[in-house]
Amino acid sequence: MTSVLKVEDLGIRFGGLVALDNVNVDVPEWEIVGLIGPNGAGKTTLFNCIMGAYQPNSGTVTYRERDISLLPTHRRVALGIGRTFQNIGLVGGLTVLENCMVAQHPRIGYGAIGALLGAPRTFSEERRLRNYAMEVLDFLDLSHLANSHLDGLPYGTLKLIEIATVLATDPDLLLLDEPSSGMGPDEAHDLGDRLLKLRKTLNLTVLMIEHHVPLVVDVCDYVYVLNFGQVLTEGRPKEVQKHPEVIAAYLGGSATEEASSEEEIPTDVPA
Amino acid sequence: MTASATEALEAPLAARAEERWSPSVQGWVARLLVLGLIFGSVLWATANVPSYWADRISLAAIYAIIGLSLNIVLGYVGQVSLGHHGFVGIAAFVAAYYATMKAGCTLDSCAFGTFLTATLYAAISGGLAAMLLGLIALRIKGLYLALITLAYGFAAERSIFEIPFLTNAGAGMPATRPNGWETDREFAFLTFIFLALVIFVDWRLLRSKVGRAILSIKHSEAVASTYGINVTAYKVFAFILSGIFAGIAGSLFAFHETNVVSNNFNFATALLWVLMVVVGGLGNRIGVVIGSAFFALFPFLILLIGPLDHFIRDTLGREPDYFTIVIGSTLALLTIILHPGGIGEQVSPITRWLGGKPFSLHPDGHEKHKEPKAKGPGLLAKFGLHREENGSERAEGERTDGELAALGRAVASPTPSRDHDTERVDVSGNGVQPPDVWGALVGRRDDAR
Amino acid sequence: MRTGIVVGATAALLGLILILGAGDDAGPNPYIAIGIATGALYGLVALGLVLVYKGSRVFNFAQGEFGTVGAFITFVFLEQVLKVPYYVAFPLGVLGAVLMGLFMERVVVRPLMNSPRITLLVATIAFALLTVGIEIVLFLPEPKTLRPLIAATDAAGNPNGLAVFGYLMEPQNLIVIGILVVLAVVLAYFFSKTDLGLAVLATSQDAFATRVVGIGIERMSRFIWGTAAFLGGLAGILYVPISGTLTPGAMTTGILIPAFTAAVLGGMTSLPGAFLGGIVVGCVQSLANWAGNTYSFTIDETVKPLQSIIPGLPDVAIILVLLIILLARPQGLLGSEA
Repeated sequence: MTSVLKVEDLGIRFGGLVALDNVNVDVPEWEIVGLIGPNGAGKTTLFNCIMGAYQPNSGTVTYRERDISLLPTHRRVALGIGRTFQNIGLVGGLTVLENCMVAQHPRIGYGAIGALLGAPRTFSEERRLRNYAMEVLDFLDLSHLANSHLDGLPYGTLKLIEIATVLATDPDLLLLDEPSSGMGPDEAHDLGDRLLKLRKTLNLTVLMIEHHVPLVVDVCDYVYVLNFGQVLTEGRPKEVQKHPEVIAAYLGGSATEEASSEEEIPTDVPA
Repeated sequence: MTASATEALEAPLAARAEERWSPSVQGWVARLLVLGLIFGSVLWATANVPSYWADRISLAAIYAIIGLSLNIVLGYVGQVSLGHHGFVGIAAFVAAYYATMKAGCTLDSCAFGTFLTATLYAAISGGLAAMLLGLIALRIKGLYLALITLAYGFAAERSIFEIPFLTNAGAGMPATRPNGWETDREFAFLTFIFLALVIFVDWRLLRSKVGRAILSIKHSEAVASTYGINVTAYKVFAFILSGIFAGIAGSLFAFHETNVVSNNFNFATALLWVLMVVVGGLGNRIGVVIGSAFFALFPFLILLIGPLDHFIRDTLGREPDYFTIVIGSTLALLTIILHPGGIGEQVSPITRWLGGKPFSLHPDGHEKHKEPKAKGPGLLAKFGLHREENGSERAEGERTDGELAALGRAVASPTPSRDHDTERVDVSGNGVQPPDVWGALVGRRDDAR
Repeated sequence: MRTGIVVGATAALLGLILILGAGDDAGPNPYIAIGIATGALYGLVALGLVLVYKGSRVFNFAQGEFGTVGAFITFVFLEQVLKVPYYVAFPLGVLGAVLMGLFMERVVVRPLMNSPRITLLVATIAFALLTVGIEIVLFLPEPKTLRPLIAATDAAGNPNGLAVFGYLMEPQNLIVIGILVVLAVVLAYFFSKTDLGLAVLATSQDAFATRVVGIGIERMSRFIWGTAAFLGGLAGILYVPISGTLTPGAMTTGILIPAFTAAVLGGMTSLPGAFLGGIVVGCVQSLANWAGNTYSFTIDETVKPLQSIIPGLPDVAIILVLLIILLARPQGLLGSEA
C-alpha cells in the first residue's frame, strides 16, 4: 500500500522544551489513522509541523513521495492536504457559505488583477465557486446554514462546518484535530459514520487527533500514541487499547479522560 | 474530488431557491428610481452650484478615494496607517513633476493624455511607497506598526517633501489641469470618474477571492493559510492596492490644487483621514465615501446655515475651516465609543434595500442565530485584532503581539460575560495552538477564567 | 541582571558622550550637549508614554497635547489674563494638563477599557486632534511665545546658564535635565517599592487578578492617566520656551515622534529606559545635524552639504533608529516583559 504522508524522525524544540522528538508516522492511502495521547503530548504540534505552521528542527515530512518539509503552508494545501483546528478554524467575519468559498482559494480560475478589473471570467467563476460550496454544504447537511454568520452556532456545528470548509479545499489527505469535541456521544457516532462515508465517496485519507475513544475504535484503521513528544506505541486500535503503557499513560482512566475532554469544550483561550 | 462529490450529492438543491428573496419588478424599478435620484441629484448639484462649491465637491471626491484607500488598510487588513499623507503627497509631487517638468505642461495648457500618464505614474509611485510599508507590516503589527506608519509619514513630510527639485525649492510644483477639464465644475466630474473607478475596483475586490483572502488573513493568518492563501503575498498586495488608490487621489489632488506645496500634506491631515474612515464605518464602502465627503464638505455645510456662518465668522471671528478638526474628531470619538459601525451601519438599511434585499432595520440580514452584541468590543472584529490570534502569534515567537495578547486577556478578563459572543467567533482566530506541551505544564487551558 | 544592563548601558552611554563631547583638536563638540538638552525633553515626554503603556497598554497619542494644553494655560495666565507670576502660572498649567488627563481617562479610556488596544489607540488620536482643534479655535493658528522660567540673559545682557562641552546650556535646559533625573528616579522608586506603584504594575499585567485582590482598576487607571498628564504638562511648559513658538499641536508635531522613539528604545516599559532613550535620541538627532553640516559631497561638480542632499536629515535619523529598533529588537534596549 502506498503511503500518502510520511513523517520521519521529526523533532522540534521550543526554547529548551522538546515538544517532539524523533517522531515517525506513516499514513497509508485510504486509511483513517488516529493520533492519540494525553494533553501536551505534542499532537497539535505535529499537525503544525506537517502543515508548515512550525518549522521542525529535524526530520522530514513527505507527501506522496515528495519532500514538502520546506514548502509554505498554502503550497501544502494546494497539494491536497486539508487541516482542521483544535478550536475552530473558521473566518468569523464571513458567512458559512463564504467560508467554503474562501477555502477553494488555490483552485480559483481567475487572477487577482482580472478580478479587480471585473473580467467577465470572475463572474462565472464566482458562480461556480458558490455552487460548489453549496454542494459541499449539502453533502454535510449544512445547506440551511449557508447564509448564517458563525456567531451563536453551536460548537459541534462549527466543527462540522470546519470539515465542510476543509473539504472545499479539495484535499485528499485530511488532518482533523479533535473533530468530535463539542459533540455529544450520538453526534460523535454520527461523525464517525460521516467520516467513513466521506472516505468512501471522496477517496480520502485521514489522520486525526481524537480523544473520544469509542470513535477512535470505531473508525480508525491504525493508531499512533504520542506521549511527551514521542511515539509511545502504534498498532490497531484494539491492540493499542490493551497496551499496558498506553493504559498507564492515557487510556487508563478512559472515563475520566472523556470527562476532561468534555470540560475543555467551552474554553476558548489557550493558556 | 469534484466529480465523485457531485455524484454523491443527491440532496435536492431546489430547496435553496425559496431561501433567496428577490424583489419584484416594481421593487427593482423603485430601487432604480431611488438610485437614479441620488446620483442624479449629486450630478445636478455639481453642475449647478456655484463654482467654488464645485471645487469643494471635487475635493470631497478626492477625499472619498483617500478614504477608500485607507479603508483597505484599516478595514480590510486591520492595521492603522497614520502616514497616508506620505503616499498621497509623494504621488501628488510625482504627478506634478511629471506633468510640468517632463511632459512640458505650461501654466496655461496641459494635454489630457499627459494628465492620464501623470496619474498612472502617481499610482505606481503610491503603490511602491505602500509596498515598502506592507513589507514592514509582515514583521510588525498592531500598535507598533501604527507607530511605524506615523514615522513613515513624518519622514516623507520632513524629507521627501523638502527635496528642492520636487517642490520647486519650496515654491511648489505647478500642475495645470488638463485641457477640457480646467474649470472647477469640469474637474469635479473628472474626479467623479476616478471615484467611480476606485469604487468599482473596491467592489470587485470584496466580491472576489482577493477580498475574501484579505479578510481571512485579518481574522486569522493560520486559518487563511490552511485555506491555501498565500498570506505574505496578499498582505503586501493589500498595501500596494491601498497605495495605488492613494496615488490616484494624490494625482487628482495635485491637479485640483494646480500647485503642490508640502504644506498640503501634514500629519494632522493624515490623522483626520483616519478619523473620517472610522466615522464612515470601517470596512464599509458606502459609509467611508459618505464620511470622507462629509469631512471635506463640512466647512461648506456651515456656510449653508446662514446664521451659524454669521455667528462663527463675525461674532467669534473664526474661519469655519477651524471647526473641521473639532467636529471631525468629536464625531470619531462618538463613533468609536457609541456606534462602532459608523455611518455605514446607519445607512445600511437603505443600502441593503438598494442592493435588492427586503427593507429591514436590522443591521444584519441574516437574522438566524443573531444575538445582540456588546457595543464596546464591536470594533474588535473590524480592526481584526483578536486576542486568540495574537496568542498564536506569540506562540510563533513574535513578542510584539504576544504583549498585545497578554494585555488583551488581562483587559478582557473582568467582564467575561460581556464579550462572550464575540469570543465565540474568535475561537476561530485561534488557528495555531501554542504547543501542546505548555498545556501539560500549565494545566489545561484556562479554566481558571 | 536587569540592573546590570541598566548600569552597563548608562556607563557606555556616558563614556560615548564624554568621548564625543570632548571633541577633537578643534575643541569640544557642542552637538552632544545640544543633544542632551533636547534629549532630556524627549525623555520627559517618553516617561509619560511609558507610564501609560505600563498601565493601559496603549500608545497615547494625546501625550504631546497634554503639554501643549499646559503651555497654553500657562501662557494665558502669564500673558493674557491676570498676568500672574510664573510660579503661579506654571502650576496652573500643570493642573490644567492633569485635569485634561483625568477627563480623557473618564470619557475616552474608561469606556474603551475592554476594547482592543488599536481601537483605544485611534481614540487617543481622535482626542489629541480634538484638543488641537479646540486650541486652533481658541488661539488661532498664529504662533505665540512663552518666555522661559529664567531668562536666557540677565538684565545686563550677559548670558545665564552653564557651558557644557562648549555649548552654553540655557537655564531652561538645565531645569529640564534636573527635573528629568529627579522624576526618573522617583518614578522608578515608586514602581519598584511602593504598594500603589506595584499595584499599577499588577493592573497592567492582569486586571482581573488585581480586582480579585481588591484594588480598584478604575482608581489605578485614573492615577496613571493623571500622572502621565502631569508629566506631559510639565514637559510642554518647559519645552515651548526652548522651541520658541507655541502653536496649536506644537508638542504633537514637534516632539511626539522622537519621544515615542525614545520610549521604544527603552523598551516601552522601562522608566530609566525612557530616560536614557530620550538622551540617545537627542544625541542621534544632534549628531545627524552635525554630520549634515559638516560633511559635503560633490555632485554634478557642485559641492553640496549632506543636509541639502538629504533634507530633514536629523528627523530621518530618528526614524531610522525607530525602524531598526522595531525590526531588530522590538523589546528595546532595556525592555523586559513587564
